[in-house]
Amino acid sequence: MAESRSDVDPRLLEILVCPLTKSRLRYDREAQELVSEEAGLAYPIRDGIPIMLVDEARPLDPDAAAKRGQEALERGA
Amino acid sequence: MAAHDTSGEADFGFRRVPTEQKAKLVRGVFDRVASRYDLMNDLMSGGIHRLWKAELIDWVDPRPGQLLLDVAGGTGDISRRFLERAPQARAIVCDINQAMMNEGRDRAIDDGVLEGITWVCGDAEKLPVERSTVDTYTIAFGLRNVTRIDAALAEARRVLKPGGRFFCLEFSQVVQPQIRRIYDLYSFNVLPRLGQIVAGDRDAYQYLVESIRRFPPQEELCRRMEAAGFDLVKHRNLSGGIAAIHSGWRL
Repeated sequence: MAESRSDVDPRLLEILVCPLTKSRLRYDREAQELVSEEAGLAYPIRDGIPIMLVDEARPLDPDAAAKRGQEALERGA
Repeated sequence: MAAHDTSGEADFGFRRVPTEQKAKLVRGVFDRVASRYDLMNDLMSGGIHRLWKAELIDWVDPRPGQLLLDVAGGTGDISRRFLERAPQARAIVCDINQAMMNEGRDRAIDDGVLEGITWVCGDAEKLPVERSTVDTYTIAFGLRNVTRIDAALAEARRVLKPGGRFFCLEFSQVVQPQIRRIYDLYSFNVLPRLGQIVAGDRDAYQYLVESIRRFPPQEELCRRMEAAGFDLVKHRNLSGGIAAIHSGWRL
């Protein structure tokens, strides 16, 4: 199945770090992303290849901001 | 010295481009020629790049259990040669260009090479690798495409284990004036045309030729490796200096 083929080698994951902060990454299998909390970036995994480039990463901030916005709305309601 | 300047510009072949643009431009070049890159190298060097790579692997001397980081590894031919010599070793191909790696991975799968080799997209100047984890670092025909060579050297040293070793195989400065004249003629007139015919992209190969001339000559690269903290730095010329291998230890 395509999914198992595209899984990242666990031994590779052990030594991968965020290219920006050199901090450890959280593997989000569902989203196929490697998350750097410190940098606030999620690096995509495409076809089983982690794309560890800052300009290809998804900033976590807009999400966090949206979430905070939502919470504020809920508190207001 | 042009390579050290702080003007915020970098060499892209003979053009000067803003530093932050070089990586993208280089990536564009390799995106365009990915599927024919290895074939093109054969034509460009008359197959000699294979001998140079064999020479590199001889010097690297792969051992079982080692971990190789093959930076700018593209289609993975250095990693595969490494693993052929030491089937119990592991190799990580790291390249800024995913198209090249997809090509390489498909080819590896076709050839039944499934074990020991993994692929990650990353920048030589900002390696996504934990410090002190790799035994051998190679960069073959890659360092001249890097925007900030000194940053890449520092990153190489960071990821190497103490006792680990750095190798760079790159086009270099031809030492003999006679060979040099012929080589100039060939590379500026014949190569871009070959690029046009075989890869359908003259500009990409024009860039390759120009970038070779911009790369620091043997002794300068040695000095910059030492400045990055490498010990026992040396180099070997290949084919009269058309290419050279540089080696340094992280002690």
